[in-house]
Amino acid sequence: MDFVLGTNLDRIIILLYFVLVMSFGAYFGKYSKSTSDYFFGGRRFSWWLISISIVATGIGSHSFLKYSTKAYEYGFSSTMTYMNDWFFMPLFMFGWLPIIYYSKVASIPEYFQRRFNSKARFIATFMILLYMIGYVAIQLLTLATVLYKIYSIPLMSTVIIIALVTTLYTHFGGQTSVIFTDLFQGLILLFSGLLLFYLGINYLGEFSNLNGFNFFWDNLTTSQKLPLANFNSPPDFNFVGIFWQDGIAGSIGFLFMNQGLIMRFMAAKNVNEGRKAAAFNVLIILPISAIVVSNAGWIGRVISNTNPNILPLDMAPNDVFVVITNLVSSPGVFGLIIAALCAALMSTADTLVNASSAVIVNDIYRPITKNKNSDKKELNIARLASLLVKIIAVLLVPFFNNFDSIYEAHGWFHSTFTPPLVVGIFLGIFWKKFTSSAIIATFLVGGFLMILGQFYPELIKPFSHGIELRPGKGYSYIGALYNIFVCATVGIVVSFFTKPPDLKRIKGLTIFDVKDLKQIFKGSEINEKKGEKISVEWKRSNQPNEFISFSKNDMKRMKAKKGDLVYLSDSRKWLGGLKSIHSSFDKSHNEDGIVYLSSSLIEKGLFIDNKTLTAEKEM
Amino acid sequence: MNNFNLIWLPFLYLYIVGGGFFLLGLVLIIKTNAIEISKPNHFNWLLILIIGFVYYFLIHFLFIIFATGN
Repeated sequence: MDFVLGTNLDRIIILLYFVLVMSFGAYFGKYSKSTSDYFFGGRRFSWWLISISIVATGIGSHSFLKYSTKAYEYGFSSTMTYMNDWFFMPLFMFGWLPIIYYSKVASIPEYFQRRFNSKARFIATFMILLYMIGYVAIQLLTLATVLYKIYSIPLMSTVIIIALVTTLYTHFGGQTSVIFTDLFQGLILLFSGLLLFYLGINYLGEFSNLNGFNFFWDNLTTSQKLPLANFNSPPDFNFVGIFWQDGIAGSIGFLFMNQGLIMRFMAAKNVNEGRKAAAFNVLIILPISAIVVSNAGWIGRVISNTNPNILPLDMAPNDVFVVITNLVSSPGVFGLIIAALCAALMSTADTLVNASSAVIVNDIYRPITKNKNSDKKELNIARLASLLVKIIAVLLVPFFNNFDSIYEAHGWFHSTFTPPLVVGIFLGIFWKKFTSSAIIATFLVGGFLMILGQFYPELIKPFSHGIELRPGKGYSYIGALYNIFVCATVGIVVSFFTKPPDLKRIKGLTIFDVKDLKQIFKGSEINEKKGEKISVEWKRSNQPNEFISFSKNDMKRMKAKKGDLVYLSDSRKWLGGLKSIHSSFDKSHNEDGIVYLSSSLIEKGLFIDNKTLTAEKEM
Repeated sequence: MNNFNLIWLPFLYLYIVGGGFFLLGLVLIIKTNAIEISKPNHFNWLLILIIGFVYYFLIHFLFIIFATGN
C-alpha cells in the first residue's frame, strides 16, 4: 500500500509525544547514581510499578502490526500467544525468580558462568546480545515502516531519528528512567488500544440498527470467533505450531531468558512483590493486551465481511492496523493511537538497550578488566554501551528489511535463538546433574542440528503433527518443537556420559536450594517472625559508613534484631518505592518514632526533610 | 472442515500438554520445598496458581461455547 495517512494535527501530536517521553526519561535520569541503580533501579519498586512497566516491555511495535494482521486474517485466535504464560508460573514464581533475585546474578550469562563455566558464559553472552540487539532492530524497522506512511521521511532516516530519541533517555537514566517511562507508556498503550476498540465498535454501530458490539459479534464467522486456531492447518497459521513456538518456546524464552524482563523483576523491592507483579501481569494485563494489539484486525475483518468496499482495494493484511485506525478515529485521535505504537517501540527498545548494556558491562567489560574498576567508570561504560547497542541495531535494520515481512523476520529470530538458551536455563535450574560439557554440547551440537533441520525439513516431519510442508519454505512454527527436542536430547545424553557437577559449587543455583536462598542471601539465620510496619521520622547520623538505627521499642514492634534486613521507604505509596533503601539494623537507641540514618543512606534513598518514612523488617 | 480439529482438539491439546507442564511445575516446587505450603503466604500462592489455571481454562472453554453457540 503506498499512500500517506494522517493530518498535520496527528503529526504534531506524535512529535509532542516523543518530546514528552524524552523529558520524562531525562527527569528520572537523576535517580541513577550507581550501576545498581542504572541496571536494577536499586531493587526497590512496588509490584504495580513493575507490572505496568512490563506491559510496555512485552508489547512491542511489531505486536500491533503482527497480531492485528493475524486478527484480520483469522479472527480471535490471534490472541493465542498472549494466553499461554500461566503454565510456567509455578516454575517462574517459585523457581527462577527467587534464584535470580537472591543469588544476585547481574545477568543471565553470569548465571551460566556460576552454574556451568566461563565457556558457557561466553557463548550465552554472544547469543543473548545478538538476540536483544536484533530484537531492537526489528522494533525500529516496524515503527519506521508505519511512520514512513505518515511523514514520508525515508525509512533509514526515520529509523535513525527514533533510535536517537530512545537513546537519549536510556543513555542518561538507565533502569529507573526505563521503569518510569514504561509505566507512563504502558498506560498510554492500554488506553489507546482500548480506545481504538471502542471507536471501532461505535463505527460499526453506524451500519445497522443493532448496537455496535452485537453487529461486531454477529458478523464474524464461527471460526473467526474461536479463541484457538485450527489444529494443524493452514501451514502458516495453526494451533499446534503456534503452541510450541509461542506458547512453549516463546513463553519460556520471555519469562526465563529475556534479560530485560529479568532486570525488571530484579528491580522489585522483594521476591514477593515480583510474584505479585508476575501474577497480575499474566492474569489481568495479558488478556487485556491481547485485545489491545488485535482489535484493529477484528474490526477490519467485520468491515471486510459486511462492507468490503470501504477498505482500500490494495490494502495488504499487514496494513490493517493503520488503515482501521485512520478510518475509525478523528484527526488528533489517530495521532494519539500512533503515538501508542511509538510507545510500544520505545518501551521495548529501551528495556532491551538497558539490558544489553548490562550484559556488555557485566559479562564482557568486568571479566576483561578483572573487576578492577570504580563504579563511576562502569556507569560511564554502561552509558557508552547503550549507545553502541543502538548503533549496531540501526546497522542491522537493512538486514531484517530483506525478509518478506516483519513477521517472518521475527519468527525466524525467535526459533533460531531461543531453543538452546531456553533448554540450557531450564535444565540448569531443574536438573542438578546437567553438566558444563552438556550445556556446551547443547549450544554447539544442538545449534548444528537446528540448522540441519532448516535445510532438511524431513528431519522435522516426525514432529509436524500433520502440518503440511510449505514447498521451498519448510515448516513454520512447529520447527520450534524439533529445535527444543534436539537441544534437550543432546543436553540430557551428554549429561549422562559426563561427570556431574560438584553440588557445593552450584549451591543456590537450582530449584532444589530455593528453600535455603534467603539464608544464603542474608548471610546469617533468617528471622521470619511477623512484625508490624511502622512510621518513623528520620534524623541524620554522623556515622561515616552506612548506618541505620531504630529505637528499642520500634524494633520490638517490628520483631527485629540487630543484623536483620530492613526496608525503609517514603510513606507516600504512589511513589512505588522510588524513594527507598534496603539496609540492615544497627544498634538501637531510645527515641521512639525516630530513625537515625547515615548521609550515604539518605542520599541513596532520596529522602526529603519532614517526610515520614515507613519501615518494615524483611528477614 | 473437520469440526473436532477446529473446535475441541486444540482446546484439549492446550490443557493436556500445557496442563502437563503446569502440573510438573507444581509437583517440582512442592517436592523441593521451593513453596512451603505450611506457610500461610505460600499456601495462598498455591491457591492463586491453581485458580489462575482454572481461570484461563474457563476463559477458553466459555469462549468456545459462545463462539459455537452451543
